[in-house]
Amino acid sequence: MSEPLETVNVRYMVKDVQEAVDWYVGNLGFTAQMNAAPAFASVGLGALRLLLSGRTSSAGRPMPDGREPEAGGWNRFQFIVEDIGAEVDRLRARGVTFRNEIVRGPGGAQILAEDPSGNVVELFQPAGR
Amino acid sequence: MTRAKIAALALMVLGAAHSAAAQNAATVHPELVRVRYIVNDVSASVAFYTTRLGFKLDMQSGAYFAALSRGGVQLLISPAKGPGGASQPMPNGERPVPGGWNRIVVYTPDLQGEVDRLRKAGVRFRNDVVVGLGGNEILLDDPSGNVVELFQPTGAGYTK
Repeated sequence: MSEPLETVNVRYMVKDVQEAVDWYVGNLGFTAQMNAAPAFASVGLGALRLLLSGRTSSAGRPMPDGREPEAGGWNRFQFIVEDIGAEVDRLRARGVTFRNEIVRGPGGAQILAEDPSGNVVELFQPAGR
Repeated sequence: MTRAKIAALALMVLGAAHSAAAQNAATVHPELVRVRYIVNDVSASVAFYTTRLGFKLDMQSGAYFAALSRGGVQLLISPAKGPGGASQPMPNGERPVPGGWNRIVVYTPDLQGEVDRLRKAGVRFRNDVVVGLGGNEILLDDPSGNVVELFQPTGAGYTK
């Protein structure tokens, strides 16, 4: 791969920005980037820039109908791993919680880790690896 | 059923599984950031992301999975119910559902123009354009109620 990576932004709502930064850096090897905690921070991994938005950021403002953005849900980015069993063991030892156990399908194996705000990260090991 | 027919059927099943694995493995491009959205209807989602937001369909397994890409992101579409790994309930019985607030951010050089175009096409927005520190943003809903953020950077600190 010689072409430069195109940065992709994914935004997660978080309850505590600094806690989220520490979690992604400490557990998944992200690099800390911009930090405007407690409102906002970004962390990067490869081409992914993960935007961590707190309640006081512009992304945390309520909708016109009063709905307030919040952490959680099921939509997520994939964290590609070579050995999902070893990765789960490593993360469990660090105190990371998972929503499920490893699910194996024809495309690969996956499991859902939760960040401290209850957002989900999908660990995925593609089939054939 | 004859033994030959059974053997042929077994080969078909094995072939289909192998082909699915190959297709899924082929969609894993290390240079792409992969994001998975849970949806109510895979085909409706594919139509929405291709016709409204300019995504390209990389592959689709009928009603059970699709992969679309745009720029550096590959969007994986999984139904809330289905045979795929991402469609399975949690051990506590909880099922994945669409929605929430976490999202991909899609850059546009002309946010207002894009909003006008999409509103005319019937796309629903959760809010109006919000002016933030790094740029202007708005949230649109896909047919399942998943959110996509359209973002137009305005500051130098927020380059693509």
